[in-house]
Amino acid sequence: MKGYLGKVLLIDLSKGTWDSQDIPETVYEGLLSGVGLGAYYLYRHIPVGADPLGPDNILGFTSGLLTGTGSFMTGRWMAVCKSPLTGGWGDSNCGGTLAPAIKQCGYDAIFFRGISPESVYVYVDNKGPQIRDAAAYWGMDAVEAEKALIRDHLKAEGGSKKKPEVAVIGPGGEKLSRIAGISNDLGRYAARSGVGAVMGSKRLKALVLAGTRAVRPSDPEGMKRLSGVFASTVRKANLPGLFTGAVFPIMGGLMGGLPSAVPLDGMLSAMMFKKFGSIMNNTYGMTNGDSPVKNWDGSVKDFPAYRALNPDRIRRREVRKYHCYACILGCGGVCDIRDLSGGNGEHTHKPEYETCMAFGGLVLNKDLDSIFRINDTLNRAGLDTISVGGTVAFAVECFENGILTPADTGGLELRWGNARAIEALVEKICAREGIGDLLADGAKLAAERIGKGSERFAVHAGGQELPMHDPRVDPMMGVTYSADPTPGRHTTSGNLYYSQSSLWDYVSWAPKVRIHPKSQDFEPTETEALRNVAMTAFKMLVDGTGSCYYAMLMGVQHFPIFEYLNAATGWNRTPDEYMEAGKRIQTLRQAFNAKHGVDVRAFRMHDRASGIPPASEGHNRGVTLRIDEMIRQYRRAWGWDVETGLPTRETFESLGLSALPGLEYTHG
Amino acid sequence: MAKQYPNYDYVPCMACGICVQACPFSCLELRRTGLDTYRKAYPDLARREDCTGCGICASSCPVDAIRMGE
Repeated sequence: MKGYLGKVLLIDLSKGTWDSQDIPETVYEGLLSGVGLGAYYLYRHIPVGADPLGPDNILGFTSGLLTGTGSFMTGRWMAVCKSPLTGGWGDSNCGGTLAPAIKQCGYDAIFFRGISPESVYVYVDNKGPQIRDAAAYWGMDAVEAEKALIRDHLKAEGGSKKKPEVAVIGPGGEKLSRIAGISNDLGRYAARSGVGAVMGSKRLKALVLAGTRAVRPSDPEGMKRLSGVFASTVRKANLPGLFTGAVFPIMGGLMGGLPSAVPLDGMLSAMMFKKFGSIMNNTYGMTNGDSPVKNWDGSVKDFPAYRALNPDRIRRREVRKYHCYACILGCGGVCDIRDLSGGNGEHTHKPEYETCMAFGGLVLNKDLDSIFRINDTLNRAGLDTISVGGTVAFAVECFENGILTPADTGGLELRWGNARAIEALVEKICAREGIGDLLADGAKLAAERIGKGSERFAVHAGGQELPMHDPRVDPMMGVTYSADPTPGRHTTSGNLYYSQSSLWDYVSWAPKVRIHPKSQDFEPTETEALRNVAMTAFKMLVDGTGSCYYAMLMGVQHFPIFEYLNAATGWNRTPDEYMEAGKRIQTLRQAFNAKHGVDVRAFRMHDRASGIPPASEGHNRGVTLRIDEMIRQYRRAWGWDVETGLPTRETFESLGLSALPGLEYTHG
Repeated sequence: MAKQYPNYDYVPCMACGICVQACPFSCLELRRTGLDTYRKAYPDLARREDCTGCGICASSCPVDAIRMGE
């Protein structure tokens, strides 16, 4: 066995039928599994013109090639579909415990097409799938529905003795909110691209997996040796006990003030993630200019109370760490919120940095308790905290500028920092009530509905609200926001990621980083574009293998992804050869956009994120990115058409994509 | 021979949960805390009565932290 099963499951919810399909070996060799397998399947089977919320769209749950092979930090799954937010390729990555369960059912991926006449969930175990009535669960929040599904399957007569793993939508997905995600393990989210709305459109409440099949690598002993070394490195990576959250603003100020930056060993950030999780960036990002403030129009000077988001204050509620499957870092946490929830639950997942900032600095909210409540509310409703946060910031700015009035908001005074009004607005968005209905599909559509010049406050890229990382600090990330097949995403590529990757020591064509110039000195060169190609291709390997983004940030000298792949598959390939698979996946994702006639030029991010006009205060004052030039360099480096942003036929063919079964380059 | 159960050595154990997921009967849980300063939850045999002693958990562990014994 080579770490993958060689089979996928297709369930047609309109017909109530299912089909187990063999996937040719060459597909895994060319595109791995995970997002690569998803791109292959959806490129072939979603017809041109398919409505993202209609029966022809396909929603896939894919596991990674390395998932379940005895490798560490490879337990992530991906939801893939045509996105109702961008109209093009959609995917969303999630940890939790679902990824190995897909394989334990005997499949590398499970795909859904059609629309069920009634609400259903799908149960899969070693015997195969069953489509079951979900009337008892429809309408339940995502956390309670998962608990109920697990409880009901464990107690059922003849039911599973193995605790099932569940992917589920909340009411947000049921109500087709285009910023809805899919939950797993009580609030870990595949949040982006509107994947939850697609699941809701199919009237599919949940996927419940209870298989027990084994997954084996080609070289179990080799795999064990690699994992032993990796574990030993991570075990020793610990911050001193005296390193508290109070250090971060000082560190951010110092690092942000340096005239240039040198690459740091990724294990340093691993130490911080291990102790704090992503919230290490809550105050660090404020002083180094990374965190957007006041709907991307402000700076830390507008939010002097930012220390209210000190990660130590959040960790006080953390009763234990949370690990995704196969994780040896444990960036997550389970937090006690009994005094905040009003009886609606005892524990919640620790809010991530993105959530803290989307409902903190972005709306000038210093009330940390409100952020805990909003986090739990959105996890239960099944909505993406980044997109809701960006949409709320849009609404607040509209209100502050008189575009929205109390008559529009149901009396809510949507002022900067008004935590009570912001919480109330979030509740309305979850319920699609009043103004919440108008906002529940994200900032871009809300601006189209409101008009009155409000689109200037809708900060997004191609319909996807921007994450909480400012490209004026990391220009490469701005290119990814604007030119990736899934725009407005922070987990794919960036200067910081690349500088920690050490890819140049493994990949012959990956340019070395010695010193990073600061944004104001950043030149859009061919070399910078090639670094972005290398980082992005590497991220496609990460997403094709089920690997974790925090493992990626450790660098390949610590996270042995190339060696893991050889131990899993026995292919004995070089890093250069694996990176070709990463390039194929990225170009296939963009070819999906080409096939479906998506104008990817419209993905260019909001001007504020490029510093147009330049900020007059704060860390990023005076910085304007040469974003259009950078985008052109990026497209050229990929072999895509510089003007349209779509792959050329020559690139599609030279990467070997047209040699894969059933793949033919088509322009929509 | 008496039935064999998983015994954990928490020194190499990384609390990764691979054994928990591998168990066909969900006998194991990440529930044992107090073993480190991070408040990690480590695996433990939570349902001894359901354990068949199959050893799948031990064979799945990447760092050999599980020994089957009485």
